[in-house]
Amino acid sequence: MEIREFHWLMNIIQNLEVGLVVLDTDNRIQVWNGFMESHSSRLSYEVKDKDLFELYPELDRVWLERKLNMVKTLNNKAFISWEQRPFLFHFSNYRPITGTATHMYQNITIMPLPDFTGEIQHLAILIYDVTDQAVARLTATPA
Amino acid sequence: MNVLICDDSAFARKQMARALPNDWPVTLHFAEHGQQGLEQILSGHGDLVFLDLTMPIMDGYQVLQALKEQEVRTKVVVVSGDIQPEARRQVLELGALDFIKKPCSSEDILALLLRLDLYQPGQTELTTQGGVNLTVEARDVYQELANVAMGQAADLLARMLGGFVILPIPNVNVLEVSELHMALNSAASSGTLSAVCQGFIGAGIAGEALVLFHDSSFADLAKLMGHTDQVTKSVELELLMDMSNVLIGAFLRGFANQLDTPFSQGHPVVLGQHRPIEELIQANRHRWRRTLAIEINYQIRDHQVQCDLLLLFTEDSIQFMNNKILHLM
Repeated sequence: MEIREFHWLMNIIQNLEVGLVVLDTDNRIQVWNGFMESHSSRLSYEVKDKDLFELYPELDRVWLERKLNMVKTLNNKAFISWEQRPFLFHFSNYRPITGTATHMYQNITIMPLPDFTGEIQHLAILIYDVTDQAVARLTATPA
Repeated sequence: MNVLICDDSAFARKQMARALPNDWPVTLHFAEHGQQGLEQILSGHGDLVFLDLTMPIMDGYQVLQALKEQEVRTKVVVVSGDIQPEARRQVLELGALDFIKKPCSSEDILALLLRLDLYQPGQTELTTQGGVNLTVEARDVYQELANVAMGQAADLLARMLGGFVILPIPNVNVLEVSELHMALNSAASSGTLSAVCQGFIGAGIAGEALVLFHDSSFADLAKLMGHTDQVTKSVELELLMDMSNVLIGAFLRGFANQLDTPFSQGHPVVLGQHRPIEELIQANRHRWRRTLAIEINYQIRDHQVQCDLLLLFTEDSIQFMNNKILHLM
């Protein structure tokens, strides 16, 4: 791949309106894109190579590690719905003025990232903002 | 010909509908209890009726009685778990044509239909009003594709659960939207089924994967997955999602590999939790009536775990898929 091409590809990843986190097998953060930087107020170079669970001790470690392990050993994507857990990372609502929810509801996808040999050394976590969808449904049917 | 299946159990209705010959050119109707059944018969939906005996509101005997009183001549076959001679004698006396015991296999139904001279095998191709055409050859290919993909999904499931997965035979069929409606409805209302659905798309092929999970399976599944806490609603949801992640993910990958088309998967949606299922299907009703469905029932040996994986393909996809499998035929 040309370096120029690489540059704009990185640009897209950086500016994607979806959170992207890449972890190595020791749960150390390898990629932390712009979405994550903005919403977490933690810059990429600050979190690089840091243990995710040390940075976010409030994460349910047993639960998340089980999910991560499952993705790794089965080489199969895992989806986590906001209905299971409202969010993985506690971010504020993207629309602080007109939004009704106080936090961002998130759908999560965990993907295995096999290397050249097919071995899985990295996992990607995608974080989608589904606040509007969640609020619409929660208000449509009183729980 | 209009065929009515009248049974209060959604499962029994579905099972019955499936047992009917695939190439039988009839329109299927369903009723959930005797009164509904009677209304359907009176509105001309029951040239042939498969009638259950024990139902709420109005049971099978009462339906037969009412038909007799109103002198409605319709062919009624009683399908019941109660096979005592007295029950049999009574329904035949009330005008039923025949009596078969539940659950009935497709062989039972075939024998019955031949006996009553209502069906001649092998006359028609698998054509449907919805425009879905499936030749016998194409069905065989899909069956084989499903077999391989299902095996891969079963392998992952076994590894996740550490149990032995009984390898089922995938059922490739043309499914009526009303059947799907029923299955999902029972997921919503009875509370005995939970469901997750997930859209997939790739190279002109699009559809939805559905995992229907029997609620009685949760306790055993929780044990298998090493959940020691009490099985609360949220634990159930967690198990359901894990299960559907594995089953859908592995099946789609296996299927995609063989068709040489990678699929993108949308985010799964839990049905019936925050959205009435009626709404989901009602909106699509006019768009498709019947479509290709692959149905797989997974069971874990020595455990009370049962779940159905259902793959539904849109009508538009069939053409693309048929082209993809041309070289396999």
